Amino acid sequence: MKNFMSISLLAAALISPSLATAETCENETWNKIMTRGKLVVGVKADYKPWGYRNSGGEIIGMEPDLAADVAETMGVELELMPVVGSNRLQFLEQGQIDILIASMTDLPDRRKIVGIPSPNYYSSGTNILSPKKLGFTQWEELRGKPVCAVQGAYFNKLVENRYGAKISAFQGTAEARQALRDKKCVAFVFDDSGIMSSLASGQWDDFEMPLPTEDAASWGLAVPKAEENCVLGRFMSGMQFYWHREETLVELEKKWGIQSTSYLAEQADKYADHLLDK
Amino acid sequence: MAIKYIPVTTQYKQDRLAVLKPFSPKGAAYDEMYFVRWLGGLKLKYVALAALLWPAIAFAQSGGYGMGDAFEALLRWIPFLTFQGFLYNVLISIFAMTIGTVAGMALGLGQLSNISAVRRFAYFTTQIFRNSPWLVILFVILLAFPFEVTVFDITIPIPAWMKAVVGLSLPVMANISEIVRGAVRSVPSTQWEAAESLSFNRTQTMWQIILPQCFKRMIPPWMNWYAILTMATPLCSLLGVGEIITHSRQAMAAENNYPELLVPFYGYALVVFFVYCYPIARLTIALEKRFAFK
Repeated sequence: MKNFMSISLLAAALISPSLATAETCENETWNKIMTRGKLVVGVKADYKPWGYRNSGGEIIGMEPDLAADVAETMGVELELMPVVGSNRLQFLEQGQIDILIASMTDLPDRRKIVGIPSPNYYSSGTNILSPKKLGFTQWEELRGKPVCAVQGAYFNKLVENRYGAKISAFQGTAEARQALRDKKCVAFVFDDSGIMSSLASGQWDDFEMPLPTEDAASWGLAVPKAEENCVLGRFMSGMQFYWHREETLVELEKKWGIQSTSYLAEQADKYADHLLDK
Repeated sequence: MAIKYIPVTTQYKQDRLAVLKPFSPKGAAYDEMYFVRWLGGLKLKYVALAALLWPAIAFAQSGGYGMGDAFEALLRWIPFLTFQGFLYNVLISIFAMTIGTVAGMALGLGQLSNISAVRRFAYFTTQIFRNSPWLVILFVILLAFPFEVTVFDITIPIPAWMKAVVGLSLPVMANISEIVRGAVRSVPSTQWEAAESLSFNRTQTMWQIILPQCFKRMIPPWMNWYAILTMATPLCSLLGVGEIITHSRQAMAAENNYPELLVPFYGYALVVFFVYCYPIARLTIALEKRFAFK
């Protein structure tokens, strides 16, 4: 009996530290950023105007601006690391980047891998760019027809499954648009803000964005899963809250020539300090 | 019944029997050196002609955003594409070739070892990396390798292009291993016997007699693999490693992704690779002719 007691005590002593660590915050990433004095942020480098390069090779855009604001608030230096859709989550999991601000749609299966603190900082929907001559009016008309897309976009699968379009996915937007011009497909499926900006460029006069925008989806920035409910995750929630309240995002949208979205106006109103004027 | 005549021979005179003449192939035969032989075989005058015609063809198909604008955009980006892009392709290829050559030499000699365990290990390693798709090896190395290593409290970062070096050096290693094995095998066995009669042991024979003869023979196929490796470095762009193709795509994005940009930007990558690899191919063929068996 004495033996049994001591063994169970020993077992309890061995188990308890591991139980404790599962609940408390180690704040490993936060501490690493502070001791290093440098914040590494994963951003896009091929997604104008969200994150792209100037001809000197520096990464600029709306999301790099947001990253700079985060680094400034933390009082550390900033390093931008270019990521693409296929490696961004792995980079964050491995610890190669500390946070990720890379025009990523907030999805349940992504939340299983990384922490996505709310509120979301942007929102966009899905639409198509197609020749005016074809005169599409409904998504259903795409059934069985070839549609160009960019690899790695989450809405490719939705359009394929829901409306039975035949997706041919290309590596980049330039390739996909060239395929649309070469009449290899009847439409190019992309996010609505991207399509609006290409229509505004005056190069697509024979084309239109004819369908009702679908699947308005929020964009989320991400922190490592372990930091989700700890200092870094909570801090990023605060950053996003103030970006909405101070209308930083609305100003940046103007600065980078992005068509203004109702989502940002709604959020700014929602989080505004309503006692301030009274 | 006795055979009165043999149908074929009787049609011809006795001296015109059907004889298989020595086979002399025309053009490049498909073997390990096929690629370099094809590249080096391009006549300089045709290359010059293509270089003159290409912009002309490109300009002919201009739309609203003209080819002129696209080429202007390319000019702006050339320093970035070359010094932050193609330079990495060259770096990756040189490092991967160095590692691949050293490891491949060891593995090739291992395949010729007297110890059966070593021989088997070297054989299987060679076969595995020689027959796996390069992209799969790259994926495994890039995603499975750590991005930094801590040795005695010093953190050494491993940038993505260094991982690409490791990933690409593995298939190169396997192919160099086969080159070494083949070159050693190609030395007549009488050399071994002669060395033995002069009381050289196996190691001495290998290092002092066989390998010096192989060395010259290995240079052309080795350079052939270098050219192939250099051409394979854009594979890294699929994994987001910063090299010329990745950066071309980013530059095109910054220029609003006009489809007109595709021809000048990818065309520039083609020209840069050609300018780098063509002299290597010519030299390889020249060396191959010089070192060929007489």
